[in-house]
Formats: sequence, C-alpha cells, structure tokens
Amino acid sequence: MNTLQKTILSSVAICLTIGYLWYGNRTITANKAVWDNVRAEAIKGGYRLISTEKLWQQYEADPATLLLVDTRQEWEYRTGHIQGAINFPIEPTWLSRWRKKGELAAVLGPDRNRLIVFY
Amino acid sequence: MAVKLGYTNVYRDPLGYPEWHARGLPVNSAPAGLADMAPAAQKAGPLNGWAMIWTLLGIFAGGIALNLTPCVYPLIPITVSYFGGKSGSDQGRLYLHCACYIGGLAVTNSILGVTAALTGGLMGAMLQNPVVLSSIAVILILLATSLFGFWELRLPYWLNRAASRSYSGYFGSLFMGITLGLVAAPCIGPFVLGLLTWVAGMGSPWLGFLIFLTLSLGLGLPLFVLAIFTGKLDKLPRSGEWMIWIRKLMGWVLVGMAAYFIRPLLPSAIGIFLMAAVFLAAGLHLGWIDLTTAGFRAFAWLKSSVGIAGVVMAVYLIGSFVIQGPGVKWQAYSDDSLPGAVRSGKPAIIDFSAAWCTPCRELDEITFHDSEVVKQAAREFVMIKVDLTRRGNPAAERLLSKFEVKGVPTVVFLNRKGQERRDLRVVDYLPPDQFLVRMAEIRKGG
Repeated sequence: MNTLQKTILSSVAICLTIGYLWYGNRTITANKAVWDNVRAEAIKGGYRLISTEKLWQQYEADPATLLLVDTRQEWEYRTGHIQGAINFPIEPTWLSRWRKKGELAAVLGPDRNRLIVFY
Repeated sequence: MAVKLGYTNVYRDPLGYPEWHARGLPVNSAPAGLADMAPAAQKAGPLNGWAMIWTLLGIFAGGIALNLTPCVYPLIPITVSYFGGKSGSDQGRLYLHCACYIGGLAVTNSILGVTAALTGGLMGAMLQNPVVLSSIAVILILLATSLFGFWELRLPYWLNRAASRSYSGYFGSLFMGITLGLVAAPCIGPFVLGLLTWVAGMGSPWLGFLIFLTLSLGLGLPLFVLAIFTGKLDKLPRSGEWMIWIRKLMGWVLVGMAAYFIRPLLPSAIGIFLMAAVFLAAGLHLGWIDLTTAGFRAFAWLKSSVGIAGVVMAVYLIGSFVIQGPGVKWQAYSDDSLPGAVRSGKPAIIDFSAAWCTPCRELDEITFHDSEVVKQAAREFVMIKVDLTRRGNPAAERLLSKFEVKGVPTVVFLNRKGQERRDLRVVDYLPPDQFLVRMAEIRKGG
C-alpha cells in the first residue's frame, strides 16, 4: 500500500468515526407522536392499540386477566405507574430490544393468549 | 416484539401513564427504598465482564506479537528443531515437549505476575499519590525509549549464561521455557516490566496470575502451531528489519500506559488531549513516518492498519469530547450551602470527588453529562460539589466528618429537610439510569 492509498483510507476511516459519533450523540427531538405514526407502527409491529377508557373498562372488570407492562425506565416507573403494572425497561433501540428478547418471554409467562398491554 | 414470541393478545396504550394518572385512575409508586431494585452491576474487582475478556484477549495478542521481536523470533526455528531432534518422528512426544516448554514459560511469568500483584496490594494506596504516578510514568517512558532503540537493556552476563545452558529430557524443555523469559528479556523485558507495573497497580494476585498466564500462552502459541506443522517451518517470513517496527509498536504501547497513569493528575480536557496526542503520534509514526519495509505483503497491511487505527482513535477521543453536551451545574460547597438547600425546599445532592480518582471522573463524564440527569438536577435539586483534590479546606473537612465520608467518590443524597438517606449513598461509579432511580427516591420521600 503506498502513502496516497493509506492517506485516503485513513481519511475515509476518520469520516466514518465522526459520522458514528454524530449519529450516536445527535439530540433526538422528541416529536409529539402523531396518531398516524403510532397506528403505522402498530401495524408494522403486528400489535393492536387500546385507549385509556377501554383499558380502564378491562381493568375495572377484572385486573387479574390483564398483564400491564411498563416499558419506561426504572426511575420513571418508581415515580409512578399504573397499579399492578410490572416494569420491563426497553430503550427504543434495536440493541436493547435484541438483548432483552429472551428475558421478555420469561416475564410474560407461558400463557400465549393472555391479554398483554404495553405502555 | 411480544408478537414475534407468539403472544396473540398484545396491545399498546399509546397515551400510557400520564393520561391514566390525569384521569385519577389507580396508580402506585414503588415502595420506598432500594430493596426491590434491579440488581446493580456488582463490581467484583478492577476488571470484570467484557472488560476482563477484552483485556485478556489484548494481552494474549500482545504475547503473540512478542514472538516477532528480534530476540525471540530467531529462537523459534531453533526451539522447534530442538524439540524435533529430541522426539524423533514421534508426534505425541513432540507435543509433550511443547507443552512442557509453554508450562515453563507460564511458571516464570505467573510467579512474576503474582509477586507484582501481592506487593502491589501494599502499593495500592500509594498509586493515588501524584509522585508515585509520575515516577511510574517516567519509568514506562524510559522503557519505551529502549524499545524505540535509543539504548539497550542488557542482562548480567552470568544470568545469560545460566539461562542458555542446555538440559535434557522433558525437564529440559520445561527449563528452556522457564529461562526463555530471561534470554528474551532485552526485547520483551520492557513490555513485561510495563505490564508488571500495571498489574501491581491493580493489586489483585489472581488477576496478576491470569494476566501473565495469558501472556505466556500467547507467547507460546506460535511455537505450538509450528511444532504441529514442523514441515512448514521454511514458510515463515525471514527475520529482518520489520522486527524493529514491532519493537517500536511495543514502545508506543508503553507510552500509552504512561499517559494512562498520569491522566488522573491532569485536568480532564488536557488528559483527553494527551491520550489523543499519543494515539495520533503512534499512528503517524508507525503507519507513515517509519519507513520499515519487509519482503512480505501482510506487513504492509499490518503497518497501515495500525497507523490508521491510531489516527482514528485520536479522532474518536477528541470527537467524543467536543460532542459531549452540557454537564450538571454544580455550586461549590460553602457553610451556607446546606441551610440554603433546606430553605429552597429542594433535595440536595453532594458529590465528594477529587481530580485523581478514576470513578469520580467516570461519574462526571458519563452520569453527570446524561441529558435526563442534567435536566432533573437543574429543575429539582441543589447540586453541591466538594472538591477534595487538595485537602485542608476547614469547611470541607467539617462536612467530611459530619457525613463520615471515607473516600472518593461519595455522593450523598439529602431530602428536603436536609437529612441524609444513607441507603442511597453512592461510593463508586453508577450509570445514569441507576442514578436517576436514586434521584426519584429522594425526591419522593420527605
């Protein structure tokens, strides 16, 4: 490898590093979740949406049939959560999803038809 | 995610807790205290988990690389043919000889490692002393200059002769292994000494043993492979000028370790720039300025990759420093700080830290720069910093005895009335999410 090639290659590597740093640290503007986006995400993920009223009806009828999973961070859960919910923090990154996949099955239990609500 | 796992009745409540809470439906907050908290990462020693595995892999690679230094490399063919001559055509006996040899190597090195760690235990406290840190850095730099070829490290004559005398049988192989460390000392010595100083700094005999065992395994591995493929011996690249480059590489490793040692003595920004400068200099020197060539292609690639890796690391360090967002705004401690906090009706967090302590630095750079921590700290807390880098400030000393602070870092959480919640106290690095749990706790109570 001659010096020119080496210098070009290292410039590319430097750009990649800077790009990686920028991508990892960019400030994510928490855009207010638009209803359409939420619905599109739900379709993509294969789950259904539930409104607060519906959830409350179900909750009032029989809380035991319902498994509530709080996916926020532990400190948020500790400040306050829906009574009876369990905490299972998942950061919205694919790495966190991938890492916690196995644990999730254990948390949700063996009953595959149980009503599960994430929030 | 749950859908993929086979659950059929999966829902999401997009409005979640805030809406539920706003309608006055039943909510709960976790019981006070940290009893049912997710288990905090246990710190078993100075190294654990992945850090441990990566360190050992690095040292293993270092051991392999040491084979390429001018004092060890020429010995490889000799050693292999020596084994070959002893065991005839019997492959099994050849392996046994090899194993004895590597075993011998491991014995010397492990004894060195454990000794360093045991004496290091006494020195552990001293390692926070600026004078000690600077002297270690100076020694490392001196050893590095030897590797750069400015001077030669030599063993006393009698030791050299005793080491090269030959013995026969399996014991002979074992003994050769034991003494290889001594024969090869002029080349590998500086590196091993550097590693010893580092192990001494960590003060764990078990770790010392493990590190040097790994080093020996790395050092012995090429030999083992070659012994298995004895016929391939002539395929080895010829020794030559390129080995000098390997020595220089080892030299830069030592310079890096020296920079690591004196970093706690410097202000954080300068420390980062120093590390970056070492990486940059090493990369440029090894990849571009040094004109060593070799007759085989792999060397050019190795050289370029090391050069580029050095430059990239420098960019990464500087980049992460520049990109880092704002940190927590602290107020320096004065006698009025605590009454002031009670008057303001906010809980207070007191951080006892010092410039030379590594976990304090970690807390500062990661936890106290986390955007959520910074936000909550500014809104709901009185943040007080007590800098213990230089002792003797009477107000700070009174505070130390009042809270029975034993060392740094110590983070003390006070509720709105100014009383400490002892169970929340932090005495080591704590990642942002765990720190937020404690902030939530102290905010809730009292």
